[in-house]
Amino acid sequence: IKDIVPNGGLYKRPFNEAFEETPMLVAVLTYVGYGVLTLFGYLRDFMRQWKIEKCQHATEREEQKDFVPLYQDFENFYNRNLYMRIRDSWNRPICSVPGAKVDMMERVSYDYNWTFTYTGRVIKGIINMGSYNYLGFAQKDGTCQEAAAEVLSQYGAGVCSTRQEMGNLDKHEELEKLVARFLGVESAMTYGMGFATNSMNIPALVGKGCLILSDELNHASLVLGARLSGATIRIFKHNNMQSLEKLLKDAIVHGQPRTRRPWKKILILVEGIYSMEGSIVRLPEVIALKKKYKSYLYLDEAHSIGALGPGGRGVVEYFGLSPEDVDVMMGTFTKSFGAAGGYIGGKKELIDYLRTYSHSAVYATSLSPPVVQQIITSMKCIMGEDGTTVGKARVQQLAENTRYFRRRLKEMGFIIYGNEDSPVVPLMLYMPAKIGAFGREMLKRNIGVVVVGFPATPIIESRARFCLSAAHTKEMLDTALKEINEVGDLLQVKYSRHRLVPLLDRPFDETTYEETED
Amino acid sequence: PPTHIITVNGKECINFASFNFLGLLNSEQVKSAAQASLKKYGVGTCGPRGFYGTFDVHLELEERLAKFMRTEEAIIYSYGFATIASAIPAYSKRGDIVFVDEAACFAIQKGLQASRSNIKLFKHNDMADLERLLKEQEIEDQKNPRKARVTRRFIVVEGLYMNTGDICPLPELIKLKYKYKVRVFLEESLSFGVLGEHGRGITEHFGINIDDIDLISANMENSLASIGGFCCGRSFIIDHQRLSGQGYCFSASLPPLLAAAAIEALNIIEDNPDIFQILRDKCERIHIALRG
Repeated sequence: IKDIVPNGGLYKRPFNEAFEETPMLVAVLTYVGYGVLTLFGYLRDFMRQWKIEKCQHATEREEQKDFVPLYQDFENFYNRNLYMRIRDSWNRPICSVPGAKVDMMERVSYDYNWTFTYTGRVIKGIINMGSYNYLGFAQKDGTCQEAAAEVLSQYGAGVCSTRQEMGNLDKHEELEKLVARFLGVESAMTYGMGFATNSMNIPALVGKGCLILSDELNHASLVLGARLSGATIRIFKHNNMQSLEKLLKDAIVHGQPRTRRPWKKILILVEGIYSMEGSIVRLPEVIALKKKYKSYLYLDEAHSIGALGPGGRGVVEYFGLSPEDVDVMMGTFTKSFGAAGGYIGGKKELIDYLRTYSHSAVYATSLSPPVVQQIITSMKCIMGEDGTTVGKARVQQLAENTRYFRRRLKEMGFIIYGNEDSPVVPLMLYMPAKIGAFGREMLKRNIGVVVVGFPATPIIESRARFCLSAAHTKEMLDTALKEINEVGDLLQVKYSRHRLVPLLDRPFDETTYEETED
Repeated sequence: PPTHIITVNGKECINFASFNFLGLLNSEQVKSAAQASLKKYGVGTCGPRGFYGTFDVHLELEERLAKFMRTEEAIIYSYGFATIASAIPAYSKRGDIVFVDEAACFAIQKGLQASRSNIKLFKHNDMADLERLLKEQEIEDQKNPRKARVTRRFIVVEGLYMNTGDICPLPELIKLKYKYKVRVFLEESLSFGVLGEHGRGITEHFGINIDDIDLISANMENSLASIGGFCCGRSFIIDHQRLSGQGYCFSASLPPLLAAAAIEALNIIEDNPDIFQILRDKCERIHIALRG
């Protein structure tokens, strides 16, 4: 067993990840902003209680007024006072295919976002930087859609049964073999929903007496699965290998907390790309640690499958490692394949065990047949088995778009989190008022973005998140960048203190190192 | 393709295993509606409900379901299992008390486990046992009135139990609800589209005012021959799930073609209310024949 050498020996290509620190003035102003909003919130609650202001949210039934109240007042404080003000940035209804350009139903609110009315007009041609459409498979015509239509007319839309009863169609078997081949593992199993895949299979793999080491910023499905399993959970700092190693050492040396017996299993839960940060897991180091301390690795590739790696095979291919090193490879079909559902891949014994013991196989319905066909066609397209090079072209296009977009944004002076190669681009906004303003200004200019605040992110680090797609052409990206530049100047969100010197027209080269000036 | 005659391992068999209660799995109307939606929207939605994953078909389906069940609002989940498993932890937290039937289905058990509340099981369909537990709880409350004022209490029952196949006695349950001030969550996965004159489930079967039940949750995978689930009830209760239902906020929305299939299935149910009577006659015949 080799000792871990500092990064140089394990990484075959430069790993550029940056999380610039919050400028002090901005942090202070953000806290002040939240403080003012909280004060106003208390004032309004007071007025509502004393009936000075009309109470506009739904209330309890008359007959049930003397029941124990369903919601504590304080739990909903954030909801009522802060979320309501900027509620129109979320849940925007669209009425066309969620591709690179999308049509949105217009809605207005005459009473400060308490209720919405639809004007009936449709805003057409909004550049969509919010949907998880990495390889552009969300299309309404093309080979994928035709194949799905055929399967729909033959098999119907639903399944009405679980996998272990009558729900195991021949299409499902075909899909599983294909997924196993795509990932390079021995076999795979698919489930109806990505969220449910995590929350129902982690309990089947670990139980009481096992240890789970999970990253700070893991997704809610992983956290729920870990909690439902009953194992002990310890959290290590985000992407921080020293923290992980310390926890592993402690676990092996001290054993279980009271009995001091060794742990039955140690499972490390990480994600390929973290959707809120845009960072990529340091997989070579994690695998080296895993081998040294003999634990198991569970990799959730929800965002990275199809989006990273020269062949679109995910983060394992991106780092040039072997898929046999990862014990459980999990992913979803929602993001890059334009369908729905999740899968788990690994060794044959593991998958056979899961076929019998997974909660999802016994109690939950299987995938719907047209969805299965969409996954099969898109996966074959990415692998190149349908005879064209469309798949490879898309993966290349996504990589180019990512590099170009990130470089241009950094040049403009925004603070961008995350790795250079991740198609998820978070742009920091920090202040609560700017969250709402950014969303609305971008919509006025016909660009749809996603803004996130508390509680999905830490309270002062609210951000706007762009999801790039292979379907975005360079013109669309340029238009978007121009508008972002304008809005950034208008709202003064260009906080970055490390400005990049704009590169002149150099040919696109992977080993370009940018010059920074402070 | 799973319909009434199904090919298993190469042999043709009559299908008594799928939950295809109304036979809508092979209906041409449903399939053509799904095809139209496929041509318009593609297959996937590529995003959760909050981030450009809300389509007009979702909003339409929610309105139709709310109107059909005669409640104020409905909310759609993309997977039947996740519906009740996300709804229970959204309301019941650590320290709250939930009275649940022993024969509750697996999804309810997982929801309860995720909510970390105190769980008290009562014997299957035994209202006397439930009353005994409620009385014990009342005695505890009087010892500690401050705590009792903030612990919420829920009863979770199913309309038609998946594990045993019988119906829960809803009218007595409602009387207990008002006597001991407990909220009722009803899980109607198997009884939606089966019981009741128009298929509205167990509340129509017993003739109970639907506002008496706080939350009805069902999945569309049985009678409506689609995929997904929904919860319906008053806006006061359902709106909370839009921000705190885990399977709603953190997961991609339902593919539009399945939502269109569900709308079409609802249309069929509303237009032909006599299929429920046919289903009931067939059930009675089989029961009588099997019992001898």
